[in-house]
Amino acid sequence: MLLDTLTSFLTDTWLFWVLLSVGGLLFWKARSSQYFHYILNRYILALITLLLVSGIVFSLMEVLPGDCAEKIMAYKNTQGESISQADIDAERVRLGLDQPMPVRWLSWVSELTLNGDLGYSCAKRQSVNLALGDRFWMSFWFCIAGLFFAYLIAVPFGILSAFVINQPWRDHNPHNSKLQRGVNTLGLTSNKLLDLLLRMVSYLGLALPNFLLALTIILLFVFAGESAPVGLFSDQWKSEPWFGDAGFQTGKLTDFLAHIWLPIFVIGWAATALQQQTVRALVVDESNKLYVEAARARGVSGVALWVKYPVRHSISPLFNSVGFDFQRVFNDLPIVAVVIGLTDAAALLIEALALTNDQELAAAILFLVALVVISMNFITDSVLAAIDPRVRKSVLAGGQ
Amino acid sequence: MTIKNNQPLLAINNLGIDFHTDEGQVSAVRNLSLELQPGEVMGLVGESGSGKSLTAKSIMRLTPGNALTHKDSSIILNHEQHNLDILKLRNRDLHLVRGGLVSMIFQEPMASFAPAIRLGDQIVETMQIHLGYSRQEARRKGIELFERVGIPFAEQRFDQYVFELSGGMRQRAMIAVALSTKPKLLIADEPTTALDVTIQAQVLDLMLELREQLGMAMIFITHDLGVVSKIADRVTVMKQGESVESGTADRVLFQPQHNYTKKLLDALPHLDQLPPTPKETPEALVKIDKLSIRYPLSGGGLGKSEHFTAVDNISLNLPEGQIIGLVGESGSGKTSLGKAILGAAPVSSGQVSFTGDQPFSFSHPKQIKRKEFARIAQLVFQDPYSSLNPRMTIRDILAEPLEALKLTSSKEETNQKVIEIAKRCHIEVNHLRRFPHAFSGGQRQRISIARALISKPKFLVADEAVAALDVSIQAEILTLLKELRDELGITILFISHDLSVVANLCDHVCVMKQGRLIEQGSVQQIFNHPQQSYTQKLIRAIPLLEKPVDRSVTTTEEVMIA
Amino acid sequence: MTSLIARLRTTKQPTNDDAYYTAGQFVLIKNRFARKTSGVIAGWLLFSFLLLGFFAPFFAPVDPSIRGADASYQRGAPQAIKFWDENGFSLRPFAYTYNKPEAKLDFSALLSAGGGLDALDAMTESGALDSSEQNRYEIRRDQRRYLQFLVKGWEYQVIEIEALGIELRWNRHLFGIDNGQIHIMGTDEDGKDIFSRTLHAIWVTVSIAIVALIVKLMVSLLIGGTSGYFGGRVDSILMSFTEAVRVIPAIPVYLACAVMLSSLEITPTQRYFAIAVIIGALDFAALGRRLRTHILTERNQDYILAAQLSGASSGRIIWRHLVPSFSSYIIVDTLINFPYVILAETSLSFLGLGLTDPTNSLGVLLQKAQDPDIQQNMVWQFFPVLIFVVLIMAFVFVGDALRDAADPYSDQKK
Repeated sequence: MLLDTLTSFLTDTWLFWVLLSVGGLLFWKARSSQYFHYILNRYILALITLLLVSGIVFSLMEVLPGDCAEKIMAYKNTQGESISQADIDAERVRLGLDQPMPVRWLSWVSELTLNGDLGYSCAKRQSVNLALGDRFWMSFWFCIAGLFFAYLIAVPFGILSAFVINQPWRDHNPHNSKLQRGVNTLGLTSNKLLDLLLRMVSYLGLALPNFLLALTIILLFVFAGESAPVGLFSDQWKSEPWFGDAGFQTGKLTDFLAHIWLPIFVIGWAATALQQQTVRALVVDESNKLYVEAARARGVSGVALWVKYPVRHSISPLFNSVGFDFQRVFNDLPIVAVVIGLTDAAALLIEALALTNDQELAAAILFLVALVVISMNFITDSVLAAIDPRVRKSVLAGGQ
Repeated sequence: MTIKNNQPLLAINNLGIDFHTDEGQVSAVRNLSLELQPGEVMGLVGESGSGKSLTAKSIMRLTPGNALTHKDSSIILNHEQHNLDILKLRNRDLHLVRGGLVSMIFQEPMASFAPAIRLGDQIVETMQIHLGYSRQEARRKGIELFERVGIPFAEQRFDQYVFELSGGMRQRAMIAVALSTKPKLLIADEPTTALDVTIQAQVLDLMLELREQLGMAMIFITHDLGVVSKIADRVTVMKQGESVESGTADRVLFQPQHNYTKKLLDALPHLDQLPPTPKETPEALVKIDKLSIRYPLSGGGLGKSEHFTAVDNISLNLPEGQIIGLVGESGSGKTSLGKAILGAAPVSSGQVSFTGDQPFSFSHPKQIKRKEFARIAQLVFQDPYSSLNPRMTIRDILAEPLEALKLTSSKEETNQKVIEIAKRCHIEVNHLRRFPHAFSGGQRQRISIARALISKPKFLVADEAVAALDVSIQAEILTLLKELRDELGITILFISHDLSVVANLCDHVCVMKQGRLIEQGSVQQIFNHPQQSYTQKLIRAIPLLEKPVDRSVTTTEEVMIA
Repeated sequence: MTSLIARLRTTKQPTNDDAYYTAGQFVLIKNRFARKTSGVIAGWLLFSFLLLGFFAPFFAPVDPSIRGADASYQRGAPQAIKFWDENGFSLRPFAYTYNKPEAKLDFSALLSAGGGLDALDAMTESGALDSSEQNRYEIRRDQRRYLQFLVKGWEYQVIEIEALGIELRWNRHLFGIDNGQIHIMGTDEDGKDIFSRTLHAIWVTVSIAIVALIVKLMVSLLIGGTSGYFGGRVDSILMSFTEAVRVIPAIPVYLACAVMLSSLEITPTQRYFAIAVIIGALDFAALGRRLRTHILTERNQDYILAAQLSGASSGRIIWRHLVPSFSSYIIVDTLINFPYVILAETSLSFLGLGLTDPTNSLGVLLQKAQDPDIQQNMVWQFFPVLIFVVLIMAFVFVGDALRDAADPYSDQKK
């Protein structure tokens, strides 16, 4: 009996204990180590930010028209019950919606921190956790894949761009022979053009809004007379299970891959522009530093010089921004989801915001995205402080 | 075994370098020729912009992309009885002069090591490139080298990052890297300038010792003739891209021919010609009473609040109408003290009071009535670049105190006062409508001084006011400060880490160490009869001119062994 | 010999140039900007677009509102402007006359077949009811219409400043055509001229961005400035709030606000401003943070201390030193952010939550691109897309060049 109470108490409050024990562990470690002191600081900051985010998201959702009681009553109305204003008010009292907003927010937050319950969606009439289900993870992996794609393009192109505009051996020396000058001028011009081209390609991803890009690609398929890769699967494979009678269905995988590239490509390209600018600026910045010249003076040259010095030192600031890049990519996902006909969390978000006014669901999705961003920031901060000596230096020196 | 004089290790002939800028070509080095024998140390002396660093870099072919070398220039390096023209080397052959036969020590060791790569790895990489060692072998040799250059706990230091070492240790590590490939020629670009005096002396001794042991040739670039006299066999003086004087160290330093060399030599401290002690000690203008400054330290574990004591219970009287020198190494709290006197640093306890016809005292910066205090005391900054607002014209900068304090009634009066003070500080009047970016460091420092003087204060704090300037410009600023003292009767607190400047300028000297005032007295007393061992150590570390009599003998021996 | 030349060249040193020395920060920025070829080209492109947009009524040949819709040329293809054809050369450019052919629908067949569904099916299959088939126009190559310049047309406001009581009205347009209207980029399903709509849309979109950016600037200045100037506890509270806003994706938040707006009863103009204000007000995080950092570093510069020691008051320090120090920065940042704000507006319009059809904004015009009918039968309605892409690219390239030029004093510090 007692054991049952205890078990149910623990299952109802598991998340709280997890958070608390992580904090406690960090606190215990922080007494002897500056590094963990820093991590503890970050951890507390992250929790505070999350609290603030939940507050902002919650109050934002207040501005959406309608509330839970109205929705439930409206539903009952469709079921044939006749509804009066008094019924709605009664329902409001039953759901606790007559409470002032801070009280409702507190109860939402405490449910969330105690056992990770994101609330109840009245429009869908099921728990938000259930309604979201795997869809959030789907969106998450979309964003990660898009981000990965963006890095895949932006990092090499950004480095190439920086390298191309930074070639000290090409000069305008009037003492050179005419031929040499001609070659150099040609080289410089072609470098500039290459740089311009690289920038054009990446900025085009920015200038073509996502929905247009997706539309254009779909259109191209239409013109070519093929079926456009809309959705996640073609009709043929949609209802087939991953594991059929004859084991794993490779056909489904191929079909999946044939569809999945479109959203990844679209959101990835848009993110490329900013990434490439950042990489280019970082690498140019690093390559002007004295230690690069010192390395050249020691005889390090060519690719080894570039890879080991400017590029290597540009990685950590880039890594540091992964969290916000994720946020930026997710920002674009809903519209792409609408165009391509995806059924992930981003599409749910649009549906919840624009069609069904499902405040609980929308708030939960926004909160989860913020949670991912904050966790990513926390992780990158911790990892960088552990491996990058420059960050470690400022951590050890400043304490903050 | 005699040295073949006709076979120099390095011969620079007719070197000319221009900079290709957006505004046109600017000449940086012109018609420079010099020769260096094996095992010889050449001191390359000159002020900033004289092209000395550029010359050194062109030996390693590290000139920046917009530097254009003239076609008729050549730099010949003698390697295994062959003459290599460095300027004609291509691609992989450049390894020979980059780290192979020639290596370089940079001025700022902190910035010259990659911050995210272990020191050891950078050395190992260098040795692997040039000597083809295996990793273990390179590592063993590297640690040996670390021990050799006097780095304690070499094995641990080898795996550390550059920021974990102190300034002197960083420069030692830099030397170790430069020596790791056993070069024939070592180029040292101002290797001691960024260091404190005592550490500077240690590093210099180390370099002397290594030179004797290894017998390599060296090009030692510096603006400090005292340092050169300690280490160089031959000296070349450069000015504005040209060599103005060249010869043996003895000849150039003790029988200088060129006016410019003489000017540089005059800027050196002459401990035998110290300013005379004033007959009577004047009344104190500023009284500092038990002043302490503590900063809270963050970090260092949880819940502990620690304090760093920058200034520890100092009491001091500053005599009126004198220039008082405040010396100490970096971190000794001298700048904090100077700022606290001006109410620009948080005073933890104690009091500062000004006597005279406008008595003024405070014990906390927040009590200060700025408008009143601005007419009593002013500050001249160390960095001539960040102390002037780049977005205001010189006229506006100079007029600011007048406008802020409402000292003038009309614009004409303001302009008149600005012109007056500009003339006093030798700023050309038709430059007043220019912006700060038009001026060099020395000119900016004049503007900074003029701004401090325009509200006619009685007391001036000059915080390392000449540290960022070239020697000849330093001399001009110092002369200006002396004029101000003599003509306007201003009391100046001159904060400096450079004892040679203090010796030339000040009447009274205070020595600080780790936040405490350890000694004070007239210049004569401090420099001729220092009481404290720390002061003695500081004074001994001053790079004075040294007759290189004994040394030249050892050099020849070393060269023959080599 | 070459060294002699080099020596002669040194006389042409830039250091004697008084113009450079007396140049203030904006002149320096301009000079640095002028060195970037791609930026300058993009700048001129941008300038001409803005000019076209601002004086759209003058440059547009046709009234873009429903009043100017050409009932006789709906869903029409672009009308080419020519100088010569097989009938000869003409100095004055001309276009042809387009006639709507008589309806080819043979309703008699429908009747004769007894009104059966089969007949209707047959007709549908033949394509006679297909919209593309319906709106095919006959080009009368023998009937030239000549282009006229500075023609009289509908009356419009050139400039209106209510506060000063200035209102300038005109009815001349840069060009038009005799006998009807010219549609160089075709018309949409109501017969509205695409070219004229696009020109008008440019300014609507840009002005939304301007309003949004001004609001953004005010909010950022308020938050960043307060945070940076006061520091301490105020700073940490404001900054954790900013951080929290920064991690929430922006577009969904705009969406929520737009949904709220749509439930209110407001006029299109109010809606237009409300959207701009929302986009601007919620986007303060990045700029606010950077302003704060900037003020924090700038506040610790020696010249600020010098001003304090000179007895300058806080107000004087803020106005004479701090504000000029970030003014150039703010302008540049604002320009860099233009594309993002415009994209936010188009995203909202695309979802039908921003501006809606009778208004001409690029977002509204772009939204049409998702209509399959337009994709297949009226490709010319993609013209605004082209303009949009070029406009954004121009903004990005100008921003790129300005970013490097923004801080003219950066390379002088040690």
